[in-house]
Amino acid sequence: MNDIPSGEQMNVQVTHLLSNISVHGDQHLAEVESDLVQMDVLLDEAIKKLCASFMAIHRTVDLQQEALNGLLADGLPVSEYAARFEALRGEISQHVGAAVTGLQFQDMTSQLIGRMARHLDGLRDVFGALDVDGLVPPESGNEALRAALDNISDRVTTRFSELEGVVRSTVNQRHMESGDIELF
Amino acid sequence: MSKTILAVDDSGSLRQMVSFSLKAAGYGVVEAVDGQDALNKAKLQQVDLVLTDQNMPSMDGLSLIKALRGMKNYQKVPILMLTTESGDDMKAKARAAGANGWLVKPFDPARLNEVVKKLIG
Repeated sequence: MNDIPSGEQMNVQVTHLLSNISVHGDQHLAEVESDLVQMDVLLDEAIKKLCASFMAIHRTVDLQQEALNGLLADGLPVSEYAARFEALRGEISQHVGAAVTGLQFQDMTSQLIGRMARHLDGLRDVFGALDVDGLVPPESGNEALRAALDNISDRVTTRFSELEGVVRSTVNQRHMESGDIELF
Repeated sequence: MSKTILAVDDSGSLRQMVSFSLKAAGYGVVEAVDGQDALNKAKLQQVDLVLTDQNMPSMDGLSLIKALRGMKNYQKVPILMLTTESGDDMKAKARAAGANGWLVKPFDPARLNEVVKKLIG
């Protein structure tokens, strides 16, 4: 690099720095975007599942009340209604189970939000590393500016590599259906 | 006497739902917020099954399994992972550490109870 005239050298450094920021910044923003899309799908499915479950619970409780009214009006022995009540109880349990599955969106979306927050924190660090205020005094020459660019470039690269190791996605779900079970 | 299950997860809402589901099936539940908390509670009280998340602060699920398997009274206690992760490499690590099964979130209470019943009755 020392054989290249200083103006060109600086052009190379600036181009390299900007390109580095563009490529890595884009990568991290793409991850955030993908997490947001995933979160949107999970929230949409969860809310549909919860709405369906709560409406089904409401319908079943109405049926239970109807059965109870019938029991009181007919004066028939309780045993005749026992099977009906047992079936309704089972139905309610099933709907509550579906609601419990739907409610788990919070655990997954909170992990996705945590990952997005780490990406954004990392990007803030990168932009912080670009702050040259006071690093190159106005009266200094090209050498000082080149050294400052080198320094910024190193800091930016370090911040990006730190960011890559800590943001592995731990949420693979794309739906709110209950997951696989495997016994070893 | 009902069997006791140690439910380990850093998500409060998830712990609440696991606890609700298992208690509805007649099990006793002890809750722990992460691996370290679980280890402390397992030392204080012998449990019949451990159901643990993987990614938690302080101590993750894999480290918890290894620590429990190192304790004489937890060498044969069933340990299940309940996690958002579904990668084969993680499952293989859990199996090698001594886990008895892997459940991917979100869980269905009826299926969870079936698995628990199969392991501890």
